[in-house]
Amino acid sequence: MIIAERKPLPELMEMLAGVERLLIVGCRGCVAVCSAGGDKEVSVLATALRLGRKLAGANIEIDEDTYVRQCDPEYLEPLKTRGKDYDAVLSMACGVGVNFIADRCPGVNVLPALNTTFYGANLSSGEWAEMCAGCGACILHLTGGLCPVARCAKSLSNGPCGGSVGGRCEINPDVPCIWHQICEKLTGRKQDKLLRKIMPIRDWRPAGHGGPRRRVREDLLP
Amino acid sequence: MSTDRTKIVGFCCHYTVRVSEDALQMAGLLPAGVRFEHVPCTGRVEVPALLAAFEQGADAVFVVGCEEGSCHNLSGSQQAAKRVVQARAILKEFNVRPERIEMFFVTRGETEPVVAAAREMSERAGRLGPLYGEQAKVVEEVQ
Repeated sequence: MIIAERKPLPELMEMLAGVERLLIVGCRGCVAVCSAGGDKEVSVLATALRLGRKLAGANIEIDEDTYVRQCDPEYLEPLKTRGKDYDAVLSMACGVGVNFIADRCPGVNVLPALNTTFYGANLSSGEWAEMCAGCGACILHLTGGLCPVARCAKSLSNGPCGGSVGGRCEINPDVPCIWHQICEKLTGRKQDKLLRKIMPIRDWRPAGHGGPRRRVREDLLP
Repeated sequence: MSTDRTKIVGFCCHYTVRVSEDALQMAGLLPAGVRFEHVPCTGRVEVPALLAAFEQGADAVFVVGCEEGSCHNLSGSQQAAKRVVQARAILKEFNVRPERIEMFFVTRGETEPVVAAAREMSERAGRLGPLYGEQAKVVEEVQ
């Protein structure tokens, strides 16, 4: 899922300077699952911003709502008109939601409440880790299902850099060297011949270096 | 509910406080300006309720929950403690001293520890001064 975290409150307060009527809109997709922008977080942020504004000697009128998703057009329909009643709409979705509101709801002043950070998995309650870089050219069949693009600090394609110690990455001993894990896994499965396969220089165009990406499925088009 | 004179709000469950704050105040046990918000279990107290108490004018807020392992609501007070930590973090972001909010674990059914918690928070609020206007003071100290 997409992992995100709330922006620092002073940054949000500065962003909302001059805003007197605010609508905070959460999203029940990924950001609700990673406890960054669901119903609960909307409620916490609304109360925090009211308190922050009062501490600054002023008031702010805040309404709250949460949509099923902010990345599908049907859920944004009500916001096209409702959003114009507010000085700003603070989206608690990932950057996709903020962009989609900006695209689909002209006249609505949409602002981001979150920093969208990575595609990750839930390691345990309250802990997430990056597992995919969305590079658009999966090589997981060659690496035992472990992604060196996302999980190697240098995104190396052909084995470890040589800086790891005891299976830990040189950037931080809390980070496992993913190439160490790939080697152990493939060797254990007797698939070490995959390790001798030289991967060509990566084409980063599918990763977004060729401009914004788009996918079309003709059979699903209206 | 909080009133204009309320300066300290204490969230407590039915098992930690069985006596009303009016009765405790009449007995001279509770400092003036302390109000209790009763909930079935402190696990029900969410972060917005804690922050709203400050927004409504409280100078200090506390939560009184059952000691670990002493309640049939197994983890309610531990949940409340985590929310107090969250609320503290938010206060810090606003340059408000986090000690304005505190979690207390007390023995069920005994009034004395709750009164002690209320007195401690009253003393703390007196020492810290009014909430509104504190930000500037903290910024000055940091500089």
